[in-house]
Order: sequence, then structure tokens, then C-alpha cells
Amino acid sequence: MALFRDENTPMIDRYRWWEVAGIYAGIFAFLFFLLAPFLEGFLVSLRPLSQLFTSPYRFIPENGSFEAYSGVFERLPNFWRFVFNSFLISTAVTVAVLLLVVPAAYAFARFSFRGMAPVLGAFLAVSMFSGAVLLIPLFRLMRTLGLLNTYWAMIIPGVAFLIPSAIWLLRTYMMRIPVELNEAAYMDGASQFYTFRRVILPIASPGIVVVAIMTFIGAYSQQFVFALTFNSKTEYMPLPIGLFAFFGKQEVVWNQLMAAAFMGIAPAVIIIFFLQRYLVGGLTAGAVK
Amino acid sequence: MGQLSLKNVIKTFGKFEVVKGVNLDVGEGEFVVFVGPSGCGKSTLLRMIAGLEHTTGGDIVIDGKRVNDLPPVRRGIAMVFQSYALYPHMTVFENIAFPLRVEGAPAQVISEKVEAAAKILHLESRLQQKPGMLSGGQRQRVAIGRAIVRAPEIFLFDEPLSNLDAALRADMRIELTKLHKQLGATMIYVTHDQIEAMTMADRIVVLNAGYIAQVGAPLELYHKPQNLFVAGFIGNPRMNFLPAICTGVSDAGVEVEVMGQRLSLPVAPRPGIGGASLTLGIRPEHIAPGTGEAVVRVIPSVVEHLGQQTIGYAAVPGREDSFCFVLPGTRAIEDDKPFDAGFAAADCHLFDADGQAFERRVDMTTLSVPVGG
Repeated sequence: MALFRDENTPMIDRYRWWEVAGIYAGIFAFLFFLLAPFLEGFLVSLRPLSQLFTSPYRFIPENGSFEAYSGVFERLPNFWRFVFNSFLISTAVTVAVLLLVVPAAYAFARFSFRGMAPVLGAFLAVSMFSGAVLLIPLFRLMRTLGLLNTYWAMIIPGVAFLIPSAIWLLRTYMMRIPVELNEAAYMDGASQFYTFRRVILPIASPGIVVVAIMTFIGAYSQQFVFALTFNSKTEYMPLPIGLFAFFGKQEVVWNQLMAAAFMGIAPAVIIIFFLQRYLVGGLTAGAVK
Repeated sequence: MGQLSLKNVIKTFGKFEVVKGVNLDVGEGEFVVFVGPSGCGKSTLLRMIAGLEHTTGGDIVIDGKRVNDLPPVRRGIAMVFQSYALYPHMTVFENIAFPLRVEGAPAQVISEKVEAAAKILHLESRLQQKPGMLSGGQRQRVAIGRAIVRAPEIFLFDEPLSNLDAALRADMRIELTKLHKQLGATMIYVTHDQIEAMTMADRIVVLNAGYIAQVGAPLELYHKPQNLFVAGFIGNPRMNFLPAICTGVSDAGVEVEVMGQRLSLPVAPRPGIGGASLTLGIRPEHIAPGTGEAVVRVIPSVVEHLGQQTIGYAAVPGREDSFCFVLPGTRAIEDDKPFDAGFAAADCHLFDADGQAFERRVDMTTLSVPVGG
């Protein structure tokens, strides 16, 4: 879609000025709705705490500064430890999910076996429950297994709740890889596993990257509830729990809380931007007509 | 080596019978083409020979050994797919080398064999490119390269040219015939394109609804089709069929009445067919304007002027398919004007009510390609 036309713009892509204006107004409205909380959060982090409760409220901070960002480390000396924990948990979850889901999605995409449809349906049903609903049974399970207050208590439920959607996502992607490639490899003497490793995996890699990103984001955002329930050791706490330190008995240190949140998210954002480079489409070009 | 026998081969999908008992012997080094309309079971038959489909009944025998339960590699077979099925993430070199890599061949051997295959297929300058950068014809050659690198005894081709445009198809046809001469391997080729079948085959197998309708050399199928199906399938435009009544049998052949005219056809007679209703077949290219032992007056509704030929289509009362005639050269024939289509009795085919042909008394030696000059 080309909003600004030159003489080469095809007719189907040409818009009148008011259509262009309407499209941009729509984009702005949605993005504003989506991004306004982040914008305000950022502005809050720039303000001294005393200015936050002035009336009338003002969005643009006067004499704003990055003081709150350095203040985070005074109040929370092991801030980076929390960030590290968050990363460790999310990465472990992502790796575990990929290890389990890639072969599973391939099996669901390529083979048909008895009970396949009910299993897929069950996966879908499980992912309709949020982790919070199952906290009590999960707690008992973790206690029985002796996993409370370990990283495992946050990693294992994370993996379990992210597998269903990952399987569905990757299965759809893998179903689009032509079956002829499997047949050709079979004709060439390759075993099922060889074909999977040398033919299917490389072609599915953009799909796997998407699943990795989705899983990482999912693990990053859902660890709060598991960490809160299954872990009480400070050294294993992920960032969202660590941020509780800013909720004092009397007051909430909003500006430092926001600063910490932004600093904690930044590495994840950088990683996702990095992974995005691998999201190249059209990898199957030239495979079949 | 490379001798293949099919013994009463059957394939069913659920209750649906696709291949209903096929017997065929393919000799070493032969180029055999399976043709038939879509859904006739030709691709299924090929996939069973390849080992991609399980054989419901019967035996597939290669070089005297029953191979029903062997994987493709151990059958000594390679296959070229209609859709090429190239590995898109690998270079042309790696695509061709794939079967050798699977075998675990040493790098030295791989590069020698791949380069030899690339030379045969004129792909030397493309070895480092990915399939996505190649044209359709080049992709097809890579797919063939992957098949020949393992030097199998039998090659299977599943409609390999159907994705190419007409000009490229003609070129590839010639290249495949050359390749067959060069390698001397047995080739089995599936197509629905009868030009490919007629030009490349040593023998053609015509399949219809899961059965073999006829097996024979291309010109044999053209001149002596054994039944209505083969008569209608081989030849383009297809043979005209006219209702006929048998009026008598003599040593010279069968006398019939067709559209109010009497003709004596030189075909092998059978006893007890007097008065039976038969079908007379005449190919469009055997029709001449105005003259001949029989003349049928038709009104062509469409006339196609191709320069090289003039083709007319006319409705025949009482029949659904139209009557077609092909005249050589450019003729001044107009549509919706009556045209007298004449033909000779010697060019006619005759079929009984079951669609089985009366054998024509034609000398095949004069109609076949002379052998040995």
C-alpha cells in the first residue's frame, strides 16, 4: 500500500487525500491508545516524586531528570540480579518449549495418528485456563516434588502453559511446507530424522523464530504469578516481584518503579529486535513450482 | 539391470479402488510412458513403483526380486517430481549432492559426481545458486540431477514437464530423450500430454479407470487402437465416432451402413455380427473435402485457421460430441456453410457395441518408423 502516489503507483494503490488522512487518523488513534500508558510511564519516571500528586495533573514534567533511574540502584541494590533472573527464567522456558514443541509440531503437522484431534483439542482447552486458576493444585504439586523456592518452580509451569499455543502456531507453519520435500528426501534415502534435521528444520526456522519470540514474551510476562506463589527467596526473584520493593507501607515510589520497569524491559526489547532479523519470509521459494 | 514387472497390482484407498489389477513387463533400458486422463491411476501406479504408496495387492518385481516391502533406495529407483521438490535452503550443488550426503559418501566422490551430473544437465555455472534464483527449466534440471547422481537403474518421472511453458517443454522433451540415450537406464514416465507420450516413448501404456487399456508402440496405438477409449485418447483432435449398422460380412472385411452410405471396411470380420450396431471411427486428419468412398455433409459451426492446418467442428445429429475435420494448409472454408467431408474406407476404424476394435488390416511395417534404415 503506497499512501503517497507518484506516477508509477498502480491504480489499486491510489487514495484520495481524505482517505490518506483517514488512514493516518485511524493509525494514530490505535497507536495512541496502545502507547499512551508507556508514554505516561516514561514521563512519570522523569519526574520527582513530589510533582506526581500535584493538582491539576500535568503530563509534561517541569525540570524533569533521570534522577529516578540512579535512585533505583540505591533502593534496590540487586536490581540487575532481578533482571538476570527474569532473563534466566524466560530463556530457560523458551529453550525448553522449543525443544519440546518443534518435534511435537512436526509430528502433528506431518503424521496422522489415532487420537491426534482430541490431543490437539485438549491443548487448546488447556490454554484457555490461565495459570492463576490452577495455582493451588500447582502449589501442591511443586511442594510434593520439592521444587518450591527454586528456579524450577517458575520454569516448569511456564513451560507447561506456553506449550499449547506454541504447538498450534508452529504446526500451522509446518503444514505449509510441501509434503513433496519429505517424499523427495525419502526417495533419496533419507530417514525420517535426517529429513527433519536437514530439510524441515532449516525451512521452518522463520516459524521457529516467531514461536521463540512469542514464548519469550509470554514467559517474561507470565512469570509474575508463578514467582509470587512458588518462590520466596530474594535471590531467585524475577524483576516483576523485585519491583514490589517500591511499594512501601506509606507510599509507592512511582517514579523509580517506572524507571526500573523501563530498564528491566529494555534488554528484552533489544533481544526481540535482534531476533526479528531472522523473520525472513519466502524461505520455500523455489521448492515447488 | 533395470527390469521391472508388475504382477496383478492393485491399490485401494479405503473402499475406492484406484488401480484394479495391472500386469506389465518393462524391459531393461526401455522408455515407457503411462498416459491416461486424470484419475486413471497412473500417478498412483508410479508412486507404488517408487515405494511412496503401499501396494494393496499383487507384486512389484525389479530384476527378479520382489520389492513391495523395500524402501525406494533399496529398489534402485530415483524419482523426479512434478513440483520439482527442491530443497529451497540448499544450493544447487547441495540439492544434487543430497542423496550422496545421505549415503555418507566422501567429499571427493560427492564433488566428482555432482560435477559430472551438472555437466550432463548444463548446470555448471549454477551450482552455487539457490533454487529460488533459477528458472523453471533449470529447476527441473536440478531435480533430474538429484535423480541421476545416484546412478539408479530405474528413473520415474511424474509429469515433470507440466509446470513449464510450451516452448520450454518442447526443449526439455528433446533433452530427456537425449538423456535416456546417454544413460541407457530404464525410464518410466507419467504424463497426460499425449505429445510427450508419442514423442518420447518406446512403448506407451494407456490407462483407463485403473486398468490398462492398451500397451504398445506409439504408432501402433495410433494406427491400431484396440478399443474406443484408446482410439479417442490417442490423436489430437480426437477421432470422430459415427453410428454404423453392420450389413454384411465378407472375406474382404465388414460392410456397414453409415449415415445412409454403404462402406466395405478392410477389418478382420467376426461371425454373427450381421445387423449389429457398431461404431465407425475416422480421424479428423483423414478427411478430405468432397471426395472419398463416403461423403458426409456437415455444417461446421466453428472453423479454426491455423495456417498450417484448417480445423472445423460440426454438430452431428444424434451425437453429443462434435464432428471434427483437419485439412492441411489454409483452406477457404467458412463456418455455417455446408461442407462435404469425404474419407476412405481404409482409414476407418470399427468398434463393436462393447467398444472393442475389429482388427484393421493394415501393414504396420509401412506405417511404422523404418528400423535400421
